[in-house]
Amino acid sequence: MIGDRMSDAAAPTKIVDDAGKERSRLGGAVSTVFWNVVVLAAALVVWQILTLVVNSAFFPGPATIVRAFVDLAINGDTGGATLWEHSLASVERVLVGFGFACVAGVPLGLMMGLYKKIYTNTRALLEPFRFIPPIAWIPLSIIFFSGMTRFAFLIFLGAFFPVFTAALIGVGRVEPIHRKVALVFGASKPWILMHIVVPAVLPDILGGMRVGLGAAWLTIVAAELSGGISLGLGRMMSNYAELVQVPQVIVGMILIGVLGFLMNEVLLLLEKRLFRWRWQVTL
Amino acid sequence: MSDTVRVATQTRPKVQVDISHRYGALVVHQEVRFAVRENEFLCICGPSGCGKTTLLDVLAGILKPSNGQVLIDGRPVDPKRDSISFVFQEPSTLPWLNVRDNVATGLRIKKVEAAEARRRVDEIIEIVGLRDYESYFPHQISGGMKQRVAIARAFAIDADVILMDEPFVSLDQPTRERMQREVLHTWEHRRRTVVFVTHNLEEAVFLGDRVVVLSAKPARIIATIDVPLQRPRNPLSPEFTAIRARCVEIMQSLHVETETPRRAG
Repeated sequence: MIGDRMSDAAAPTKIVDDAGKERSRLGGAVSTVFWNVVVLAAALVVWQILTLVVNSAFFPGPATIVRAFVDLAINGDTGGATLWEHSLASVERVLVGFGFACVAGVPLGLMMGLYKKIYTNTRALLEPFRFIPPIAWIPLSIIFFSGMTRFAFLIFLGAFFPVFTAALIGVGRVEPIHRKVALVFGASKPWILMHIVVPAVLPDILGGMRVGLGAAWLTIVAAELSGGISLGLGRMMSNYAELVQVPQVIVGMILIGVLGFLMNEVLLLLEKRLFRWRWQVTL
Repeated sequence: MSDTVRVATQTRPKVQVDISHRYGALVVHQEVRFAVRENEFLCICGPSGCGKTTLLDVLAGILKPSNGQVLIDGRPVDPKRDSISFVFQEPSTLPWLNVRDNVATGLRIKKVEAAEARRRVDEIIEIVGLRDYESYFPHQISGGMKQRVAIARAFAIDADVILMDEPFVSLDQPTRERMQREVLHTWEHRRRTVVFVTHNLEEAVFLGDRVVVLSAKPARIIATIDVPLQRPRNPLSPEFTAIRARCVEIMQSLHVETETPRRAG
């Protein structure tokens, strides 16, 4: 066959052994988990030893924290709300605010990236907002909004710009040659948007989302500290701080860290799934 | 000139070019006029920076010339209606699509029916020898293979005209020679009208039915040379060497550039 002749003539530079790659990837994952567990365990041991040395009620060890955690999870706090309810309230607010930020940030970023004029002509209005920290909006938001609306609004402010900016900058990096490929075939503008621009910018957008998620958690705790509500991890921590109960405050802190970490892992997993086509740079 | 007349009497030209193009004050093309026959392999040869890429953009209908027009089958070129393929000088595979989906890009844009598209992709992938690499992403294959993907993508749609812009310029000599044979091989299986741009005379004479020689900027046509040799051509044969020598002579007269350019062919 003709095809056979061609493939004989053309030796590929690199053949990837799929099975071998799969095996090494699995081995890599196991070793990653192993080392993370080891590091975590070592940190806990060091912490426990330090508390024995310091021996103060203001410096609780891991064992005390675990006890506080179990107590909060089963019996709830002074008001009877369990850790579960506090976490759920915070997670819900983060997801709603973050969701709105993505829904608004991605299309706006794409549009302003594609039609640079809109962005350059509205810059002076838009950009200063980026530098007003969401926390600075708390006083106003207390006057204007309450409940979920207030939190969603504040988180939106924190998460919008990372997502928006990532999409905006990403569009500028779309290779002109890829657009030209579609153009010479007579592709329409919507086709180019969906099949050239979006796939090219998606990695940037996901990166922006991860930054935005961090900003969302930053904002939620600050917003919950400001009062007016009974649920939320920030609220719980602030209550226990007033009672000078350090272990419960630390439980809240650790939980925020873990929840944020887990959400980030979900986004990372999505990234790995979606962007198998990207090469990995290693040093 | 006599050549063009002969062509016109033989078959109606597939592509007719009659343009002048300037970019601001810079004159890029000065009265560039030529015709391409149906299923002809036409090479355009000229010094680097003479506006060959711009000429192809105009031929593809994605750039409007400041004067004149390009006709395909007697109508002004329109990438949405006409079926045109382009093989670019730089790597142009879409990194988020695997080899198979890259090859199918044009078919998707042209909304070719799925079963028919599958058949055509299968066929062209077989011809360019990428069958074992269908599911690979561009970053997993070599530069030469990527260029073969781009060539397969161009031949996959039933293009009226295939435009190639120095597609092998970034490849090393052995790969380049192999790719030249592969393009001819693909073209012989899927006869199309091809306009192939290069600054390499040897390549132009090896591939083309005719070679159009352009001058440095502002680009004018200084010669159109017939290459009436059977394929596969032997670059060491006396006939080949003779035609090549004539081209070299014409090209060298470019660098003198004082006399009015003479016409050959």
